[in-house]
Amino acid sequence: MDFNSIHQRLLAINAPGVLSADTPRAADPEDKADKGRAGEAFVLIDRSEALNFLLAVRDDAALAFDMLVDLTGTDPDAEDEDLWLNLHLLSLAHGHRLAVKAMVPKSNAVVPSMVAAHMAAHYHERECSEMFGIHFEGNPDLRNILLPDDWIGFPLRKDYEFPKEYHGVSCE
Amino acid sequence: MSEMNAPTELPKPKTVEIPETARTLPSGEREFMLDVSTSDLEINMGPQHPATHGVMRILIRTNGEVVTGGQVHLGYLHRCAEKIGENVEWLQYLPYTDRYDYLSAMNNNLGYSLAVEAVMGVEIPRRATILRTLCAELNRIGSHLVAFGTYGLDIGAFTPFFYCFREREWMMALFEKICGARLTYSYIRIGGVFNDAPVGWLKEVERFCDVFEEKWQEYYDLLAVNHIFVKRTADIGVISPEMAVDYGLTGPMLRGSGVDFDLRRDVPYMAYDEICKAGVFDIPLGTGEKGTVGDCWDRVYVRLQEMLESIKIIRWCLGVIEDGPVIGDIPKVIKVPPGEAYVGIENPRGELGHYILSDGGKVARRCRVRGPSFCNVAVLEQLLPGTFLADSVAIIGSTDVVIGETDR
Repeated sequence: MDFNSIHQRLLAINAPGVLSADTPRAADPEDKADKGRAGEAFVLIDRSEALNFLLAVRDDAALAFDMLVDLTGTDPDAEDEDLWLNLHLLSLAHGHRLAVKAMVPKSNAVVPSMVAAHMAAHYHERECSEMFGIHFEGNPDLRNILLPDDWIGFPLRKDYEFPKEYHGVSCE
Repeated sequence: MSEMNAPTELPKPKTVEIPETARTLPSGEREFMLDVSTSDLEINMGPQHPATHGVMRILIRTNGEVVTGGQVHLGYLHRCAEKIGENVEWLQYLPYTDRYDYLSAMNNNLGYSLAVEAVMGVEIPRRATILRTLCAELNRIGSHLVAFGTYGLDIGAFTPFFYCFREREWMMALFEKICGARLTYSYIRIGGVFNDAPVGWLKEVERFCDVFEEKWQEYYDLLAVNHIFVKRTADIGVISPEMAVDYGLTGPMLRGSGVDFDLRRDVPYMAYDEICKAGVFDIPLGTGEKGTVGDCWDRVYVRLQEMLESIKIIRWCLGVIEDGPVIGDIPKVIKVPPGEAYVGIENPRGELGHYILSDGGKVARRCRVRGPSFCNVAVLEQLLPGTFLADSVAIIGSTDVVIGETDR
C-alpha cells in the first residue's frame, strides 16, 4: 500500500491517536521564505496513544505492521518546546513502511513504553531515554545502554553542553 | 594484616551424604552417583573476549554448567556517530559511516547516500547504480566470509578461517584497485560513486566470481557439514519466527528462522527491482535441515548460501553495465532541502536504516542510524537462559554481531 491508502485505512479502522498526515510538498513560488518540504510522508500521532496505536496497526490484517524497525527521538531545535518521537514500522507481509511521529514536550517528556507491542522497542527505548531524556513509562529496565551509568545530561538534545571533565579527566 | 585474627579453629569437614541415586552394576557392585552442589555464579564474558567479536560484555549467570541468565552490556565502542552527524557537513559524515559496521563499509556508504538522496531527490546515473550494486554485493560476500570464518573459530575450527580470509583478501584487493582503501572505502558517494572502475577491473571481478564458486564448495565441505560443527550448532539457540519478528531481527537472523523477507526483494531500492523481476537470485531460508528451524546452523547456512546468491547478482551487473558517467550533478558543498526521510537497506547483517532530517542547510539536523547488530543482539537476553555455558559462545557467534555498529 502507498502512504495515502495507509492513511485512509488508519482513519477507517479509527486507529487510536492519529492526528494528521504530513506529506512532502513543493515550495510556494509566491512566498520566498517557504522552501517546501522534501523527503517522505509521515503520520502524526498523540504520544499518549503510542502503544495503542502500535497494537492497532499490528493487529489489523490490511496494515499488518508487525515489525517495529526503529524508535528514536529528535530534537529539532534548542528553542523548540517539543522533542519528536520517531517510529518506523515495517510490514513483512505487505512490504510497506510507515513513518510515525509524535510530539513530546520537553517539560514533560513521558511516553508509554511500547515493549508490550514489540520487544524490539526495549533497546531503542533505553537508547532514546539516555540520549533525549524521554521517559518510557512501563519499560521494565530503563538503564543507560550506550552511555556510562553516571553520565550527566542528554547528549542528543540541542542544548546539551559538553562536559568539562569526566571522573577527574579533563575533556578540553 | 596484623589486626586480622588468625582462625582459632579449623572448620570441621562436612560429612558427605550419599544420595539415594545408586545403581547396581552388572558385576553386582553398587555404584553411587555423587554430585557437587552448585549455586549461581556470575561471570563477566568480555569486554575483551574473542567470542564477543569486539568489546561487548555479557554478564552471564550460571548454575554449574547451565546458563540461568544473560545481560548484554554495550557502549564500550560508542563514538557518538549520531552527534557527529549533526555537526559535520553532509559529505564529511560519509567516512564515519564506514566505521559503524567496518566489515561492510560499502553497504553503510550506500545506506547513508540513499537516505540523503531521498531528501535531495537527485538522479543517479545508470553506471553508478550498477557499480553500487556490484560493490555492495561484493562487500556482502566479504562480510559473510568473516562471519563464517570467525564463527568457525568460536566453535573451535581454526582452518576454515584461513580459507575464508584467502578469498576475502582478493575481495579487498579488488576494492583497493577501485577506491584505494581496503576496509573503510567511502567509495559510494552522495550522487553516485566517486571513481570509475579502472581498466580491466570488471574482468577481474568476473574471474573472482568463477574462482569463488569453486572455493565455496570447500567452505561447505570443510565446516558447514562437518559432523562436529553440526553437533555444536544444530538445535542450539532456536529462534522461532514469531520471536524473530517481535525482537525486530533482520537479515540472516530473520531468514534463518524461516521468515521469507528480504528488503532487496520486498522493499526494493536501486536496481534490485529489476534484478528481482529478472529472477536473478533466490532468497535462502532456514529450513531446519540439520535440526530445528531457526537454530545456529540455519543462520550460518543462510549466510553461506547468500554468498552464492551475491555472486549471481554480481554476474548480472557485469552483464548489464554500460559506459557512462558515475556521479550525478552534485555541487561540491551539498545543501539538502528541508525535509526528512528514513531509508532502510539490506546490509549483510540486516536492515541498516538512516533517518535524515534537514533544515535546508549544509549540516544535518538529525542523523539517526539504526544498526542491525544493535537490534539483533537484543535477542541474546532471551536466548541464553537454559543453554549450556559452552553453547553460549555458539549462540553469541551466530548473531554475527559487529560492535562498531551496536555502539556506533
